[in-house]
Amino acid sequence: MLLLQILVNGVLVGGLYVLIAQSLNLIFGVMGVVNLAHGSFIVLAGLFTYWFTSATGLNPLLVLPLAFVVLGLIGAGLQPLLVEPLMKFGRKAELLSLMVTFGLSYVLLELALQLWGSDFVSVPYLQSSWSLGGLEFSKAFAVSGAFAAAVSAALYFWLNYTDSGKCLLAASQSSTGAICCGIDVRRVRLIAFGLGVGLAAAAGVLVIIVMPLAPQTSDDLTLLAFVIIALGGLGNYGGVAIAAILLGIAQSLSAFFLGGNAEYVLPYVLLILVMVARPERFRPA
Amino acid sequence: MEGATQPASKGGPIRDPFPGGADGSARARRLRGAAAALVLLALFVAVPLISRGYLLQFATDILTAVVLAYGWNLISGFTGYLSFGQVSFFGLGAYATALMVMRAHVPWYFAAPLSGLVGAAVALVLGPIMLRLRGILFALGMLGLARILEVVFNNWHYAGGSVGLSLPAELTPVAVYVGMGLLALAGFGISAFFVRSGFGLDVMSLNEDEEAAAALGVPTTRVKVIAFMLSALLPAIAGGLVAWNRSYIDPTSGFDPTVDLQTVVAVMFGGIGTLWGPFLGAAALMIVGEEFLVYFPNLELALYGIVVIATVLAFPGGLVGLANRLGLLRRPIVLSPKSLTAAPPEPRPREYTGPVLEVRDLTVRFGGLTALDHVSLSVRSGETLCIIGANGAGKTTLFNAITGSVKPTSGEILYLGEPISRVPTYLRAQRGMARSFQIPRLLPSLTVWENVVLASRHGRQSHRAAEHAAWVLETIGLAQMWRDPASRLTPGYQRQLEFARVLALSPELVLLDEVMAGMTRDEQEAVRSVIRRLPEFGVAAVACVEHVIAAVADLCDRMVVLDFGRKIAEDTPEKVLKDPAVVRAYLGEPL
Repeated sequence: MLLLQILVNGVLVGGLYVLIAQSLNLIFGVMGVVNLAHGSFIVLAGLFTYWFTSATGLNPLLVLPLAFVVLGLIGAGLQPLLVEPLMKFGRKAELLSLMVTFGLSYVLLELALQLWGSDFVSVPYLQSSWSLGGLEFSKAFAVSGAFAAAVSAALYFWLNYTDSGKCLLAASQSSTGAICCGIDVRRVRLIAFGLGVGLAAAAGVLVIIVMPLAPQTSDDLTLLAFVIIALGGLGNYGGVAIAAILLGIAQSLSAFFLGGNAEYVLPYVLLILVMVARPERFRPA
Repeated sequence: MEGATQPASKGGPIRDPFPGGADGSARARRLRGAAAALVLLALFVAVPLISRGYLLQFATDILTAVVLAYGWNLISGFTGYLSFGQVSFFGLGAYATALMVMRAHVPWYFAAPLSGLVGAAVALVLGPIMLRLRGILFALGMLGLARILEVVFNNWHYAGGSVGLSLPAELTPVAVYVGMGLLALAGFGISAFFVRSGFGLDVMSLNEDEEAAAALGVPTTRVKVIAFMLSALLPAIAGGLVAWNRSYIDPTSGFDPTVDLQTVVAVMFGGIGTLWGPFLGAAALMIVGEEFLVYFPNLELALYGIVVIATVLAFPGGLVGLANRLGLLRRPIVLSPKSLTAAPPEPRPREYTGPVLEVRDLTVRFGGLTALDHVSLSVRSGETLCIIGANGAGKTTLFNAITGSVKPTSGEILYLGEPISRVPTYLRAQRGMARSFQIPRLLPSLTVWENVVLASRHGRQSHRAAEHAAWVLETIGLAQMWRDPASRLTPGYQRQLEFARVLALSPELVLLDEVMAGMTRDEQEAVRSVIRRLPEFGVAAVACVEHVIAAVADLCDRMVVLDFGRKIAEDTPEKVLKDPAVVRAYLGEPL
C-alpha cells in the first residue's frame, strides 16, 4: 500500500514535469535551441506568484493566465533580439544559442535575487489531501498536476489539430520543408519561443504551489526538463509525456528508499546513463 | 584589413575565420612577442615587491581566472565542445590536494601536481563517454557533473561533509601567486602548441567538421580526449592552489557555478579559440569587474550574463577578433612553409595485387528500412568503377559503410585484402582510403593550406607533409590562394580543394560521391579531366557514385547499378546501359 502511495505521488509530480519538459521541447523542436534560461523563467513565475498572492491574498491559480501572457510576451520580445540573429549560423546556431541563453539565465537569476532574495519560498495552498481507498491524494499536487496535464493536452491538440499548430509542428520537423509550403518560419519561431516561455511560466505557477523554489534552483529545473526530453526523445511529444511521469515515479521511489539527495541527483545520473546507453537519440537528423 | 571585409556569417562564428596570414615579418613578430613577455614579466615581479596585501591577492585572483580561462578554452574554444561544468575539475583538484595533505600528509609540492593528474584521470574516464556526441549533451552533462560532485562531497564525511576541510597556512601567499603564475604560463604554452602544431590543427579541425576531419585521417576521439584531459589538468591544479590560498575547501565554493560563468565570460570576451583571448579576457574582466562592482555591488551575475550575450551577438571574435582586424595577434598558418617547395609523393610500397576493395554480401538496415540488401562488388587495381542508381538507391550509404561512418548490419568489407569492419574511419583514411562528400565539406575557417596539410600530415614527418601538401596544391592549381580561408573560395575552387585534400592523403582508393551533381557542362569537364588523371597521382583504383549516367559512362571501366538497395547489374558501361532491367529501373516499364 505504501508502495502504491509512492507511485501515486510520483504520477502526480510527473504530471507537472510533463509541462516543464514540454515547454522546453517546443522551443527545441522548432528552433533547435536548448533554452538554458528555461528554469529561470519557471522560477521567476513561481516567485512572482508567491509575491502576488502574499500581497493580495488571491488564489494562486488566478495568476496562471497572467504569468502565461506576461512572460510569454517577454519571451516573444526577447526572441528576435537574442536568438533569431543566431539562426543564420546554421550548424553552429545550436552552440551559440546555448551561450546566449546561458548568459540570459544569469541575468534572470540576478533579477530574481534582487527582487525576492535567495530564500526558498512556497505558496501555501490546499494543504490537505483526499483519502481514497486508503491512498492519500495531496490536493495541491492533484490540482497542479491536473492543470499541468490540461495545459499540455491543450498544447497537444493545438499542435495536431489546428492549422496554426500544424504550421509549428511542420517547422519543427523540417524548417526548409515548411518554408517551401509557404510557412513564415521566422514567425513560427517567434511564436514557439514566446509560447515555450509562457508555458514555462505557467509551470512555475503550478510548481510553487507544491514545492519550494529559490532563484538558485533554476538550473536544476532546466536540467530536469532536458533529461526528460532526452529520455523521451527530442521533439517527440508523446515520448516526453511518458518520460516525465516515469521520472516522477522514479524520483518518488528513490526519495523514499534512498533519501532526498538521491531524489535530487537522480536526473543528473539519468542524464549520464542516457549518454552512455543511448547516444543515438542525440544524433542530428 | 582583409579580416574586416569578411562577413562573420561565412566562416565559423565561434572562431572568426582565419584573418589572412601572419602580420608583419617574422622578425617584427618576434620583437613584439619579446616586448610583451618582458612587460608581463616585469609586472609579475613588481606585484609582490609593491604589496603583499590586497594587490597581491587581486593579482593572484586574476592569474587564477587566466588559468581557468586557458583550461576552458582548450576544450570549448579549440574543439568547440562547450563545457558548463569545468568547475568540476577545479573542485576535484581542491579536494584532492586537501585530502592528500590532511589525510595522507603528502607534501604540498607533490600534492598540487598530483591533483592535476587526478583531474586529468577523471577526464580520461569521462571523455570517451561524454564527448561521443557534439554539443548539447556534453554541455549539460558537464553542468550535471558539477552538481553530482557537489552532492557527493556534501555527504562524504571523510572529506568533511558540508563543512569541508581546512588547510594549514603552510604555503605563503607569494608561493601561491608564483605557482598560479607558472600555471598561467603553462596554459599559454599549451595553447601556443595548439595554435601552431599539427596536433593543434587536428584539434581545431574538430570545431569545423568532425566527420570530414575523420575522413582526412584525424583520430577524432583520441584528439578530443587529450584536449579534454589538458583542459582538466589546469583547473585541477589551480583548485589545489586556491584551496591553499583560502586555507579551506567546501562543496559550495569548490563547485560554484559562478566560477564557470566567469570563465566562459572571460574567454568569450577575450576571443574564443585563440591564443591570447583567455589572458586578455580574464585580465580585462577582472579589472573592469572590480571597478564595476564598487558602484553596483551584487550585480556581478547580471554583468557577466550581459557580457556573454553581447559578445556572442555583437563581436563573436572577442577582443582578439577586434585586434585581428587591425592586423594584430593573428594566428600564424599552421606548419606554414617559408616558400612552397613541392615534392611528388613517394609511391606506397605495393606487394598486394588482389582487388583494392571487396564488398561481400553487405546489408545495411536503418530500423525497418533496408538501405543495402546483400550487395557484393569489388574494385580492382587500375580500374574505375562507377556505381549508379536513382535517388535512394543506397549509393551514399554504400560509401558511408565503406569508409566506416555507417555500421553494416551484416556482410564484410575487405580493403587491400584485409577485413576492415572494426577499423575506425580515420585509420581507413590513413591507410589510403579517401573520399569526397556529396556537398564539399571543407573546414571553413581554416586556410586552404591547413585543409590540405591536415590530410597530408598523418603518417608523415612534418617537412614531408608540407612538401607533399605544396605539391598537391600546385598540381591542382590552388597554389596562389594557399593562405585564403576555405570559406572564401568560390564553389568551383571549393570542389578543387576537396580533390586536393583527397590527393593529400596519397590514396590507394578514391571514393567520389556525386562530384558532378549540379555542375555546368564546363565544370563537369574540368572534374572529368581530374578523374582521368588520378592514376598519375598514384591512385590505384577509383569508385564513384553518380546519378548522371552520361557524365561518367566514358570514364569508367565497369558499372554497377543499384536499385532500392539491390545490385541489379554489373558490366561494362555499354552493356549496362542496354540492360533491360537497368532501363526499367531508370525509365520505368516500356509502354
